[in-house]
Amino acid sequence: MRKITFLLVFFLLAGVNFAFAQTRTITGKVTSSQDGMGIPGATVLIKGTTIGTTTSIEGNYEIEVQPNHRTLVFRYVGMSTQEIPIGDQSNINIVLEPDVLQMDEVVVTALGISKERKALGYSVQEVSSENLTRSGSSNLSSALQGKLSGVEIKPSSGMPGASSQIIIRGARSFSGNNTPLYVVDGMPISSTSDFSTGNSVTGADIANRAVDIDPNDIESINVLKGQAAAALYGIRASNGVIIITTKSGKGNKTGKPEISFSNFTSFEQVSRAPDYQTKYAQGSYGMNIPNTSFSWGPEISKLPDDPTYGGNSQGHPGMYFVPQRDQAGLDPWVKPQVYDNYGDFFNTGYTTTTSLNISQATEKGNIAFGIGNSIQDGIVPSTGMDRWNAKAAGETKLNNFWSMGFSANYSRTSIDKLPAANDASLAGVYSAPPNYDLAGTPYNIPTDPYKQIYYRSLTFDNPYWGAAHNKFTESTDRFFGNGFVEYSPYISENMTLKTRYQLGTDSYTSHYQDIFEYGHKGSIGELNNYGVSSQTVNSLLTVNYNWKINSDFNFTALVGNELYHRNRKLYDEYGTGFNFGGWAHMSNAKIQQADESQYQDRTVGFFGNLALDFRNMLFLNITGRQDYVSTMPRDNNSFFYPSVSLGFIITELESLRDLPVLSYAKVRVSYAEVGQAGEYYPNFFSAPNYGGGFWGATPIQYPINGISSYLSNNVQYDPNLKPQNTQSYELGTELKFFSNRLGIDYSYSNQLVTDQIFQVPVAASTGAAALVMNGGEIKTDVHEIMLYATPVIYQGFQWDFNVNFSKINNMVNELAPGVESIFLGGFVTPQVRAGIGSTFPVIYGSSFERDASGNILVVDNPGAWNHGMPVDGAPGVIGEVSPDFILGFSNRFDYKGIALTATLDWKSGGQMYSGSNGLLDLYGVSSLSGDREETFVFEGVKPDGTPNDIVRGGPNDPDAYQDLLTNVLTNIDEYYIYDNSFVKLREVTLSYAIPKRLLNNVQLTVSLYARNILLWTELPNFDPESSQGNNNMGGSFERFSMPQTTSYGFGVNLNF
Amino acid sequence: MKMNTIIKFLAVPVLLMVMAGCSKDKLEEINENKNNPVDLPSRLLVTDAITKTAFSITGSDFAFYASVYTEHNVGIYNQMYNAEIRSGEPSLATTYNNTWGSVYETLYNLKIIINKTSEDGNEAGNFHTLGIAQVLTAYNLAILTDLMGDVPYEEALQPGEIFQPKLDKQEDLYNEVFSLLDAGIANLGKESTAASLGGQDFLYGGNADKWTQFAYGLKARYTARLAFRNGGKWADVITFANQSFTSAANEAKFVYDGSTTNSPFQTFFIDRDYFGASTSLHNKLVDRNDPRDATFFIPYPGKDDVEFAPNGSPDQVQGFYGISGIMSPTAPTYLLSYHEIEFLKAEAYARQGGVSADAETAFLNGLEAAFAKVGMELDSTYVVDEALRLFTANPLKEVMVQKYLSFFESEAVEAYNDIRRMKAMGENFITLDNPNNATKFPLRFTYGADDVTTNLNIADAYGNGSYIYTEKVWWAGGTR
Repeated sequence: MRKITFLLVFFLLAGVNFAFAQTRTITGKVTSSQDGMGIPGATVLIKGTTIGTTTSIEGNYEIEVQPNHRTLVFRYVGMSTQEIPIGDQSNINIVLEPDVLQMDEVVVTALGISKERKALGYSVQEVSSENLTRSGSSNLSSALQGKLSGVEIKPSSGMPGASSQIIIRGARSFSGNNTPLYVVDGMPISSTSDFSTGNSVTGADIANRAVDIDPNDIESINVLKGQAAAALYGIRASNGVIIITTKSGKGNKTGKPEISFSNFTSFEQVSRAPDYQTKYAQGSYGMNIPNTSFSWGPEISKLPDDPTYGGNSQGHPGMYFVPQRDQAGLDPWVKPQVYDNYGDFFNTGYTTTTSLNISQATEKGNIAFGIGNSIQDGIVPSTGMDRWNAKAAGETKLNNFWSMGFSANYSRTSIDKLPAANDASLAGVYSAPPNYDLAGTPYNIPTDPYKQIYYRSLTFDNPYWGAAHNKFTESTDRFFGNGFVEYSPYISENMTLKTRYQLGTDSYTSHYQDIFEYGHKGSIGELNNYGVSSQTVNSLLTVNYNWKINSDFNFTALVGNELYHRNRKLYDEYGTGFNFGGWAHMSNAKIQQADESQYQDRTVGFFGNLALDFRNMLFLNITGRQDYVSTMPRDNNSFFYPSVSLGFIITELESLRDLPVLSYAKVRVSYAEVGQAGEYYPNFFSAPNYGGGFWGATPIQYPINGISSYLSNNVQYDPNLKPQNTQSYELGTELKFFSNRLGIDYSYSNQLVTDQIFQVPVAASTGAAALVMNGGEIKTDVHEIMLYATPVIYQGFQWDFNVNFSKINNMVNELAPGVESIFLGGFVTPQVRAGIGSTFPVIYGSSFERDASGNILVVDNPGAWNHGMPVDGAPGVIGEVSPDFILGFSNRFDYKGIALTATLDWKSGGQMYSGSNGLLDLYGVSSLSGDREETFVFEGVKPDGTPNDIVRGGPNDPDAYQDLLTNVLTNIDEYYIYDNSFVKLREVTLSYAIPKRLLNNVQLTVSLYARNILLWTELPNFDPESSQGNNNMGGSFERFSMPQTTSYGFGVNLNF
Repeated sequence: MKMNTIIKFLAVPVLLMVMAGCSKDKLEEINENKNNPVDLPSRLLVTDAITKTAFSITGSDFAFYASVYTEHNVGIYNQMYNAEIRSGEPSLATTYNNTWGSVYETLYNLKIIINKTSEDGNEAGNFHTLGIAQVLTAYNLAILTDLMGDVPYEEALQPGEIFQPKLDKQEDLYNEVFSLLDAGIANLGKESTAASLGGQDFLYGGNADKWTQFAYGLKARYTARLAFRNGGKWADVITFANQSFTSAANEAKFVYDGSTTNSPFQTFFIDRDYFGASTSLHNKLVDRNDPRDATFFIPYPGKDDVEFAPNGSPDQVQGFYGISGIMSPTAPTYLLSYHEIEFLKAEAYARQGGVSADAETAFLNGLEAAFAKVGMELDSTYVVDEALRLFTANPLKEVMVQKYLSFFESEAVEAYNDIRRMKAMGENFITLDNPNNATKFPLRFTYGADDVTTNLNIADAYGNGSYIYTEKVWWAGGTR
């Protein structure tokens, strides 16, 4: 130990001495080739060191160099970097050329290894801070929409903290995790929720843990899409990696602290309102029934004529009797009127995001501190989010050989939500009878706030009552971060050795509370408190050796070890039935139940990487990793995963250099194999569960009068479980034209995923419901194109655009033997499933009965109520969710500090189950159901094969149309399937950077923006990006789901 | 030297620590399941086998749908409405899937209990628990085959080994039912080495004699069930029935406390509200001036009058039709009621010799118990003017009709079985009014979707589901 201290002191002193020796000053000016003006803020760096400075407002610089410093590097965003030998010069002026695609761009790859982009044999895409935050999104996944190729981002709604799915190059697992690994400043962190929404037909959404990340603190995001790119992460690499680098002050001008402050404030509105019929009142078959969910009643204007409730015959001419008003103690007689129940319910939400970042670079390193807050108030009453982020990071050189650093992040996130689907708080908003004044009629009787007044039976709560009394909250306190030491001894002129040890943690506690208050659904309510405390430790040791063999060859080797260990403790307290309303607490519950679970898991990996470069032209990279995993059976818990990639820059060939049009061309090819572990346990017994099916709550609740019981867990485990395997290869090319003004990056990748681990549903007659085993095969073909262009640069005006195109064909080839499809979520029918021969996932449910050629069959039975109507046929695949392609198109127009950017997102193809659309028809409130007095011929064929010509409906057949919608189509899930292609203006931003000289060297940027403007969609009535589920069923299944929003806002950004 | 330092002080300790941290023993220790036991005594398993048998299998979905088909209730909303108008639900594989799963889950747990308590098990000598598990296995197997016909049994209940069990013939399954009951009776008669189940047995508190009576009662029920196939072993029915319950005190009745356990029909009303008062049942009661009419039906809460729903064509509207008056959070589920035993006996005597003292005694015992079930005393006017008058005119018919009435509403599955058996025997004592029955009387329940989608044997048997309108089960004259 003393030795080390001695060494440390020695090196430290040596370094200091060295620093004072023989310095001299170089000055100069950096100008732009475009306008000849000085470039302020350009970086001037001494090559091979972290010593540097930035240019002044006029473009001037001054830097002190020592004799061993040989080269100066000049860098500026958007300009090509230049390296100038110092020699004897004391004044170096330099003219920088614009560079759309920087040749020497450095990207962060697996395990934080920085590599030149040109050296990569696989696709990596970067999103810069500026691209991420220009429209003030407080949510990382929505900030990424439209900006990545090969990545599908599916938000569940526009609610504060809403979950979303990010899937890179299609799904690999049926029911397991398909989301990428998130790595923040070198530390893998948890991004998924500890609680799945399960079947996703009850309760509220549950946020993903990626919600804790503040996009404003992100310096850059690198997305490792393919398995070859991610292979060094081993068993956790199969879904790709999102590498986040936070703002650390690195690259700042040395000496002076930089302070940046920003505030974005936006206002949200519901993105779309359905078209309603406004002619017919509540009721059924033309009869006014004031407590039905249907609006198949009489014409609203004729309500006063109703024999029971009409006022014309009861001394209230022109009025009708509303029993709910009577219950509320109001005058029950009202004039018929049409209400905008949908519009009345939604508020204007707002989001305000503020962040402050202070950073400083010194000669020895850098330090940063940041604090951020995001407050959101949802468009649905009593929803919102409040998030605080604080972070500190720093890095310092201890001497020439040793350095150390840390990154520490704290977040606190609180979200208020409301439930959907079977518990939908919006059911009554979406489907209220047009003649019922939902907003204006009190939602409880005057004497008891917990006795609801509602227009229909309390299968759902009155939405206003629900917003006032039910509560769905979650809150998370989280810390993640790491510290590292790095040792890079001097070996020789052409060799470097860097040893780095990093220890990190990700630790959080989340508490959830789901409260259905006393009076919920006319009953006595329930509450569920649950939560998790999770601690992860990550230890990472890497040794990196670089040998510049000669002018042609460069060799790099890396070996390392990673240990990942996680402890989790979950609790669940469930209380059924309150004694009285107003005290929604466990102590007020008649039946109280508690459960806990504890989990541990560990992954240990040993890995190596060999890289050989030839003449900056050929780049070969080979990796291997051996993983040991605790969550697999004892005799089958270690696995080896290799990858190999090759990059070839064709334009480095002698004969192809300096071509007039083609400035850069590269091809790359890679192959990788990675796995994904399962969660194995020896078979066990568990407590019986009586929820689900027809039951709203759990009708049987152990312990029963002190007696407990258990049963064999109906999910069993295959003792021969092995990890699921992904074999993938990727081919790609990068081409740049016209001095890099136009660039294209194309990748084709193919993944074959076999031996998926999932709960294979087995025939119930086997005695188990499912067996956790290997089975299945998914094959994915992905075409990705990134296109960059700068079509116009003229006198300070610049137009850039880029296109991100993804075509992902994610096909399920096989499931386990005998299994045609597996359940991912939904109702008894319809469901979201993975099905053989279909893309992933599909919607499964009852279909229209069809003839052999696929025509819809109608009943030909004159006199029958369903004469001329279709019937429900066998259940099967009724919809494919995955789109044909996704295209993001971003434009940026710059003129002297004024920038206009716009990102369009186009999803073509794909379908979803839109329960709300179908139910609006069923309930008779949709505009389609307003055509009820007209005759119709249902498109189809009669059993004899002739086209259907049976005319139903019209004045002499008044019940037919209601029968069709409420008795026939409502049972045919296929009727609820809609194409949901869309084009959205994801964001449009107009910003102006007020010149520093006007504001005493303060850089002030102001911006106006709008987000998520739905321009066009095939889906009627609703925004297609509103659905159920925080898991693999996300984006496919909608039923009274929380809506999407459109935002309009403004931002201020101050830098000084 | 520098390299040595770094290796000595950083790399070596880290690597050593990590190597120790990924040994097979260490990883297995980390993966130890702290949340669930891998083995349990049988007494902790038998409790839920009883509860599931009562609540999930006997008392819930099967009974709800059967109550629609037998016209005890009218389905007025959603799935029950569809069942009422015979659209979708009766022929869909998803309809009974949850209960299909519950039956096999329960059978599997009973198999574990039987294995544990049998000769080679770790609780050998625990004869009473073994006998109880055998009786419950027989009971569940019979319910399953009564409703679905041929079902997997021989190859079933071997998870991870046989993935697609083959179907067994109903005739063979009934042989198994009887041999299980006989074995159960034998084991219940032995001296058990284990302590009594006591409170773990929600049905009988571990009382072997009561379980034996239950087993004999089941033998009576199932012997009568096979009447069309076995030519009517009515003497056996009487013998078995005589060894069963002698009063309602010992009947196989699962009682709910209304808080931790809730009666299925009541919970179904609260959670779903899919039933309306049946015109057909109402008419049958009114025709015979039956005082139970006022008990069976009450107005929808908040309404003044009972609106009866027309069978087969109600309006799909909630909050309008009257509802069952015998629902309550504590209304029990009958696995086998005392009144059923008496009516079985009465039927057997009536089939043996028409009007007889024995038949009449059993009939009146059954009737009295049926009234007591719904909290009423049998009034003599009704007995004399209606019940006995009708009994004398046609004893068999009146026994079967009274039995049908006594089953309202939680015993609807047994009513459904009787109706199908009587149809096979050419007897049409109970008229059903649903006009859809002309073409669409469900002759059976569909197999569960969990098997239809994963077991080709079941998928073949299920086809498109329309067989349920055309194919009777074996004991009702069909082939499968």
